[in-house]
Amino acid sequence: MRYALLVQGAPYSSQASHSALRFSEALLARGNRLVCVFFYHDGVYNAARLAAPPQDEPHLVDAWVRLNEKHGTQLQVCIAAALRRGLLDEREASRHGKSGHSVEPPFELTGLGQLIDLGLGVDRLVTFAP
Amino acid sequence: MILHILNRSPSSSLVYRDALAGMGPEDRLLLVEDGVQGALPSQVRHFEVVGDRLFALREDLVAHGLDGHCDASVQVVDVDGFVALTEEADKTVSWF
Amino acid sequence: MQAETVLNGDVLVILRHPPHGSSWLREGLDAALVAAAFGQTVSLLFQGDGVLGLLQGQGPGPLGQKGSSATLDMLAMYDIESLFLDARSLARLGLSTESLQLPASPLEPPSIAELIAGHRLVLTF
Repeated sequence: MRYALLVQGAPYSSQASHSALRFSEALLARGNRLVCVFFYHDGVYNAARLAAPPQDEPHLVDAWVRLNEKHGTQLQVCIAAALRRGLLDEREASRHGKSGHSVEPPFELTGLGQLIDLGLGVDRLVTFAP
Repeated sequence: MILHILNRSPSSSLVYRDALAGMGPEDRLLLVEDGVQGALPSQVRHFEVVGDRLFALREDLVAHGLDGHCDASVQVVDVDGFVALTEEADKTVSWF
Repeated sequence: MQAETVLNGDVLVILRHPPHGSSWLREGLDAALVAAAFGQTVSLLFQGDGVLGLLQGQGPGPLGQKGSSATLDMLAMYDIESLFLDARSLARLGLSTESLQLPASPLEPPSIAELIAGHRLVLTF
């Protein structure tokens, strides 16, 4: 089956990201496909490229990136929710005159319409919220 | 059949009432994260109407130290079982 | 009246949080507007403290936070006319449909389950 996940919790603040990552591994292990993880609400903080957790804690940002590299899962971040919260890729940073950027590929800033497309297009959408 | 996923305990949030209101007669309810507290014998009465369609996620029960305290009426599933529940359902609704 | 109410559509957005205290209501309404702009038939269910999102008289916050009342006014423009509320949630707060900014059909639990089953995609905020 084709799955998509909606993550709405900030990493290290709630269990949402951990639960979603654990669910991702399990659904892939059962032979399903994970098309996309969409980040909305405080979930957009999962795309913060500057996250520097202590070494004895799971690195959630890296875990999402590995998911993309190993399984081709798209990592889409709601652009409106992200910009408000200071999460900008290089293009948005330059557009807004900011000296640095906080989001980098494989995370992509995208519109909320993608979430609706996904939700109606995949077999299962599962939400992980704080 | 719809799989409803609840991550709050009935002792801290009333969202479980909204989840129950949204459940059809065939729907299933899975308790995850802090929601697994609802599987305690003292709490499980809140889910009486769900009958044998009540599930709790083993990994979260274990992480909370609650796996030995789970009411016998609750079906405990691991994360593989969680995925299986979503495969069997037409769709999922998360309550938080 | 409820027997005539249409309980199905493409996308159901469930709103369970009041305005101002968090961005759940605003971001949930945004999702509903986008779904409607993409040509989907969208229904809204206000449940729990989310019914306060419908209350007449709500406004912007002291720092100019937008709140949700302006977005509510936009729903009709986006053809979102299927508004529902959990009748028990409103009663629990001691409020009636007369204090609401927009008309929403009160639903009891069996119809709420039907509403959820009747939509292809259900998003909760």
